Amino acid sequence: MTSTRRSRSPGTAYAALRVFDLSLGGMLWSRRTVFMALVVGLPVVLSLVLRALAELGGPVPRFRGDATGPTVFGLMIWAFFVRFSVPVLAVFYGTSLIADEVEDKTITYLFVRPISRESVLLGKYLAYLVSTIFVVLPAVVLVWLLIVPIGGSLGASVFDLSKDLAVIAAGLAVYGAVFALVGATVRRPLVVGLVFVFGWEVVALAMPGSFRMMTVAYYMQGLIPHAMPTGSALDIISRVFTETPTLATSVVGMSVIAVGALVLAARAVARREYVLDQ
Amino acid sequence: MSTPVLVTDHVSKWYGQVSGLNDVTVSVPPGITGLLGPNGAGKSTFMKLITGQLRPSKGQLTVLGEPVWQNPNLYFRLGFCPEQDAFYERMTGLEWIAALVRLNGVGERDALAAAERAMASVDLLDVAKKRIGAYSKGMRQRVKLAQAIVHDPELLILDEPLSGMDPIGRRRTIRMIREWARQGKSVIVSSHILHEIESMTANILLINNGRILAEGNVHQIRDLIDEHPHTVYIRASDPRRLAQEFLARADVISLRFEPGALVIETGTPDAFYASLTDMVASGEYGVVESLTSPDDNLQAVFKYLVKS
Repeated sequence: MTSTRRSRSPGTAYAALRVFDLSLGGMLWSRRTVFMALVVGLPVVLSLVLRALAELGGPVPRFRGDATGPTVFGLMIWAFFVRFSVPVLAVFYGTSLIADEVEDKTITYLFVRPISRESVLLGKYLAYLVSTIFVVLPAVVLVWLLIVPIGGSLGASVFDLSKDLAVIAAGLAVYGAVFALVGATVRRPLVVGLVFVFGWEVVALAMPGSFRMMTVAYYMQGLIPHAMPTGSALDIISRVFTETPTLATSVVGMSVIAVGALVLAARAVARREYVLDQ
Repeated sequence: MSTPVLVTDHVSKWYGQVSGLNDVTVSVPPGITGLLGPNGAGKSTFMKLITGQLRPSKGQLTVLGEPVWQNPNLYFRLGFCPEQDAFYERMTGLEWIAALVRLNGVGERDALAAAERAMASVDLLDVAKKRIGAYSKGMRQRVKLAQAIVHDPELLILDEPLSGMDPIGRRRTIRMIREWARQGKSVIVSSHILHEIESMTANILLINNGRILAEGNVHQIRDLIDEHPHTVYIRASDPRRLAQEFLARADVISLRFEPGALVIETGTPDAFYASLTDMVASGEYGVVESLTSPDDNLQAVFKYLVKS
């Protein structure tokens, strides 16, 4: 007969992976996944319409200036994914990593096992990252397949696509860590998270000085591989890129934010007492 | 004298301005100990403190000789069955138990074997590969017990483990708890029903309003309890058939129907529960889905104890 008796807690990485195993299915099959599919489905549907119009020879909206399919794709990556889908999904998932288990009253089963609470947070975070990547990245690829061939070549932009996918995955990782911290420390994490994304980040990016360095979006700008189109409304958006950090600054900045936020979130979870309603 | 499994020294717990537990000093010996008190008495707070889910606001507590708050290693030696009916509904019972015991550092194959043993010991092996969401109330209670015992702990802490179980499930679970104790394990079990506790142990802690009112032998308060009628809610497929049978019995003081339930007051709960279990086992009275007992009668006893 095999023994289940041990005397020392398994390491954080092992425990986090086991919590990940336990959480991934529930996260993928939750109602939030439907919400996530809707959020990332919007650019796919828009791309589908544009492509269908192009294929049918209908009234395709003319891209102005030097805007071709690949450029519009780059714009969609920035506007739809980097500045909207990624932070929104991170807010909804990241703030609820532990809160969902508390609300479902299943957190008890994890907290009475011989693993650190830090590893519970880390495992839940990994499950969030995999489940969002699993849904968001295929949507990006679909948009790429639909939009880039309109005046562009898929083959020529494969490298840019791979960089876009990496940027979006990095965005999910960093925003997720930030909102995991928000979820672990404040009373109304969803409100705080939405204010951070649609209030603070928008204002801070537009302000002169170093405020923008206190946003995630600023560092993500330095990773975007696309040249923005010129002309009219697109120009306004492209101005955001007038002061972008270097690649190295972006990578270091995002790494520091992600690791720092995760460490603080894990400490908060370890010290907090969770009182479940009976 | 044997080493106590639980020692609390002037432990208090406040939720803001509200007191959940007030200056509790107890020493719980090995074996089975029942924590008896009405809802809101502080049982759940006590259970959460001794399982390390909450930190005492004041005082010290040790479980198996070790502090419990932020001490994950202790959970190798401790198994906890919480009160709440909460699960990963999409998982099968076997998957869930195996996934939880893997958190103890057990490899995949050993975890599955341990999960199967645990499911077998709570008589759930035949439904081990069914989703928990499809389990009956009694099965859900038992799968919770299985996750508490799967790693073979020295001390089991069970919060209202019989709540909502049918009579046969109760009898089976009580037998199981006693068997664990016979194997040298210790059990702390909470309930608001004296007869449940009494069927497992004579050693009790009586708790009310966040204070331990009495500790020791259950028989000392037994006579007091018996002076008060005991109310039982029975949800059954054929409540009228059960009612017919009970109307003729001397141990039933009153009987009435409420939506979805037959409500019986009895002056001799032990005899009542024994005969009900026999009736259900006979199969002649349909299915009894659940048995519950409100706090009213126990609350009356507590009032009496506090006054005296």
